[in-house]
Amino acid sequence: MSLSLTRGAQAAVLVLVVAVLCRLLGGQFEWLVGWPTALTVPMTEWMGAVVGGFLSIFKPIARGFSFALSFPMNWVSWLLGQAPWPLVVGSVTALGWWIGGLRLAALGFFGLGFVVLSGYWAESMNTLALVVVSVPLALISGLAIGILAFEVPRLKGAVQALLDIMQTVPTFAYLTPLLVLFGFGPVVGLIASAIYAAPPMARNVLLGLERVEPEIREAAVMSGGTRRQQLFLVEIPAATTQIMIGVNQCLMAALSMVIIAAVIGGFDDIGWEVLLTMRKALFGQAFLAGLVIVVFAIVIDRMSGALALPRARQNKQIVWGLFGAGAAVAVWSVVAGWNPDGVAMFDGVADRVDAGVGAFTADHGATLDALKNNVMFYGLLPLRIGLADAVLPFTWGFKWTAQHSAVFFGIAAVIAALLAWRGRLAAGAIVMLLALMLEIGIAQLPWPVVIIGAGALGWVSGGWKLTRLVVILLGLVLISGLWERALLSLYLSGASVVSCAVVGGLLGLWAAVSPMAWRVIRPVCDLLQTIPLFVFLIPVLMFFQIGEFSAYLAICLYAIVPMIRYTRHGLTTTPEEMIEAAQASGAGKWQTMFEVRAPYAAPTILLGLNQTILYAFAMLVIAALIGTTGLGQSIYLALGQADVGLGITAGAAMAILALVADRLVQGFAEERRRALGL
Amino acid sequence: MSEANSSAPAIKVEGLWQVFGERASAALREAQAAHDGPAIAENLIGKGLIPAVRDANFEVRAGELFVIMGLSGSGKSTLIRCISRLVEPTAGAVHVDGEDILKASEKRLIDLRRRKLGMVFQHFGLFPHMSVADNVGFPLKMQGAGKKERRKRALEVIELVGLQGREDAYPRELSGGQRQRVGIARSLAVNPDIWFLDEPFSALDPLIRRQLQDEFLNIQATLKKSIVFITHDITEALKLADRIAIMKDGEIVQIGTPEEIVLRPVNDYVAEFSKDVAKGRHACVESVMLKEIPEHMPDDPGLRVGMTLDTALAKCMSLYEPVPVHDRDGKLVGAVQPADLAAALQVDEA
Repeated sequence: MSLSLTRGAQAAVLVLVVAVLCRLLGGQFEWLVGWPTALTVPMTEWMGAVVGGFLSIFKPIARGFSFALSFPMNWVSWLLGQAPWPLVVGSVTALGWWIGGLRLAALGFFGLGFVVLSGYWAESMNTLALVVVSVPLALISGLAIGILAFEVPRLKGAVQALLDIMQTVPTFAYLTPLLVLFGFGPVVGLIASAIYAAPPMARNVLLGLERVEPEIREAAVMSGGTRRQQLFLVEIPAATTQIMIGVNQCLMAALSMVIIAAVIGGFDDIGWEVLLTMRKALFGQAFLAGLVIVVFAIVIDRMSGALALPRARQNKQIVWGLFGAGAAVAVWSVVAGWNPDGVAMFDGVADRVDAGVGAFTADHGATLDALKNNVMFYGLLPLRIGLADAVLPFTWGFKWTAQHSAVFFGIAAVIAALLAWRGRLAAGAIVMLLALMLEIGIAQLPWPVVIIGAGALGWVSGGWKLTRLVVILLGLVLISGLWERALLSLYLSGASVVSCAVVGGLLGLWAAVSPMAWRVIRPVCDLLQTIPLFVFLIPVLMFFQIGEFSAYLAICLYAIVPMIRYTRHGLTTTPEEMIEAAQASGAGKWQTMFEVRAPYAAPTILLGLNQTILYAFAMLVIAALIGTTGLGQSIYLALGQADVGLGITAGAAMAILALVADRLVQGFAEERRRALGL
Repeated sequence: MSEANSSAPAIKVEGLWQVFGERASAALREAQAAHDGPAIAENLIGKGLIPAVRDANFEVRAGELFVIMGLSGSGKSTLIRCISRLVEPTAGAVHVDGEDILKASEKRLIDLRRRKLGMVFQHFGLFPHMSVADNVGFPLKMQGAGKKERRKRALEVIELVGLQGREDAYPRELSGGQRQRVGIARSLAVNPDIWFLDEPFSALDPLIRRQLQDEFLNIQATLKKSIVFITHDITEALKLADRIAIMKDGEIVQIGTPEEIVLRPVNDYVAEFSKDVAKGRHACVESVMLKEIPEHMPDDPGLRVGMTLDTALAKCMSLYEPVPVHDRDGKLVGAVQPADLAAALQVDEA
């Protein structure tokens, strides 16, 4: 290879050579395609033994802790369960007024009113009790971790790595060891949600403290404050806005996790209700329960979100008045013996939704099936097992033969040669690579191609250090015996991410050029980001039943939001001067868009892609509930069997995939930012 | 400030170095042992270290307004942070009223800051979550003063800086000029002897800046603090200073009165600063007096000692012969060639 080649071209050509070799020799040498079983390390068993032994040591302590925690848990749960509903509604409405006046008070009133009328009051209060106990735990530990990382700079790197891991390890994965440690019951959900919700708080505390203006810090020093006075009287209050964002994220994460934790059961909460009705295929009821969750999420999100914004002081009298009104109605309802559990006012609606969905799927079943099958046959399946295996008389109407392969590669080679001839060698090699990948299928890619390919990407995006990290991490997955499942996960999340990138990118572009479009898209994005992961499964299931396509749709629905947001944000925040310079040079609207805005937005859009990837991996595990193969399924199975070894290794493998993807994309984003001098 | 000359200096800085980088202190010691003068800094730079302040030596007399002037990156902000020990200097000594504060314990340092030192910041450094009165009262709170006492003293200082009536406002509700008034009030709340001001007026627009400079001079005229004042603006330095130190690349290149800086710059760098300055307003006739008094002086336009060049030149516009200069009592003390007056005012062509 001549030295004049760019990094990208060198890497692409190298990977192409490896891929071609593997394709040609794969038939003769089995070990080139699948990692030989003889060389597989029984990591799952080892992990099971080590962690199992480790856990059994801590088990008594953990059980004691669990026992201790069950008291506040039960008190709060009893309190919320016994509190007359008008009192709770009145308190939330009063709180809403105190935070944000009429708007939030109305949100609180109608939101909780809906919950009362839905007939899920008791279940909702059980869920709320879990949140109420787990959030203070998460807030305090998050605050402590954030302050620690800030005060002891040597610990900062370690703490940040830990936070990264806590957030990339899929939620189900650490439920398993927690289950073994703490035993079945709501306390596991409580602890899991505290663990899951602490990192965003810690991150925002650290970020907020770091962003306090140096002069404010110095002013506190020069006023003669001790370190503790500086921290608690000046720096933390000055960082309030950022910390409040942390509180908001912490609350949302806790709610999301509490609902996910319902899969381990043992607590009659609203998440369990969704799961139960979903399993019974009572989609109307599941939909209603899901709506209750969404209402909770929106009320909690908007109220805590408003805390981070500058707000006007509200009239205290109205706040107390609302509270008093709630209490008065509560007294009346207790005297009159009115109980909301019997209401279930929307049961009729639920039944009608059920009937409606039933009728719809019956009427349009053929259309829905056609849609599903087309996407499966012409999109997902070839991606997964390659054209060579996916093209069958049953699916495409003919059988893929060696001649087809030859013609297919021939066309790809012509395009690649053309590109190479035009001086774009890297692009040419990538076209050839994609053709090879499509023919073989992602789930059947020979392992040297994946590892060398990822390593090469790492080299282009972040240099040797990143290559080393990527190769070592993927190597661990390879020898652990989870490789095939990892490839399956890679394929499904890859397919979703590509779809999200294309569709989300276009939607973001549309929202950037048309404020009208953004006015419509924005609330939808807000809503999608507020809904706990779990709820995404309901509508998908309603129309497409259990299966890979449903999982794919649920992942796309959830993961598309950051792509839209970041694309629009990147495209619309180009400095005004640059736009004016472009206009002064005579550039039209679309010329400005593609020549100025898009390159400037590239790092931001890459960050959006990065988020989309992480979201997709997070959802992949949840989607295991409705039928996916791969690591997600393993993690879910491990949870059911309390198999710590499998749960942790599969969770770690998942985290590794997410981490590798994250570092690669971050590397490219960083490189673009540097190139633009940002 | 001639009366201050006799007493001990308020601040005395000796051999102060601030070097950034790995193992800076050891590297500096080695470099100082092996080299001398500018070679020390060059040696450090060669090792990849950044000597931000290089061997600073100066004194600030009691009641003196000492201005440190330099462009951005010249090390002036680092220097003032070394003197106030907001950063730990690599080497040297800073004596405040005879006490080396670089050797002071953490406790002693907090005590000094609570009673003796006050500081004003370029971007004000106001606490966003506190009202004006709470901001101003914060140093008193650190001293342990009660709520009532804090409020009373805060109101006094707030009135001193002309912000009465705004004491319950929050920083975000104030204009830039008002914010800096709060910053000044806060730094004066504990009535410190030593007053550090780090580019206090640089972030303000020109009109407000001039207004605050004048008020600052008024306040200083009554309070007589010992001041270290940082600026990048030569006009500001000349207007305010008793003495000026000019910094370049971490080094103090010249220390002198405004007049010395303008009329006798030690090198081209200093001269470059004063190039565009109206020298006539900062220099007096003494600076261009002839060595010998000529015998023949036909005209006497009435020049006096201490008269600025501008005024003197206006008086002898049409004169070509040397003219006499008298002191306040009318005694002949020297002579000036009118052409020299004009020449001294000439802006140098670079």
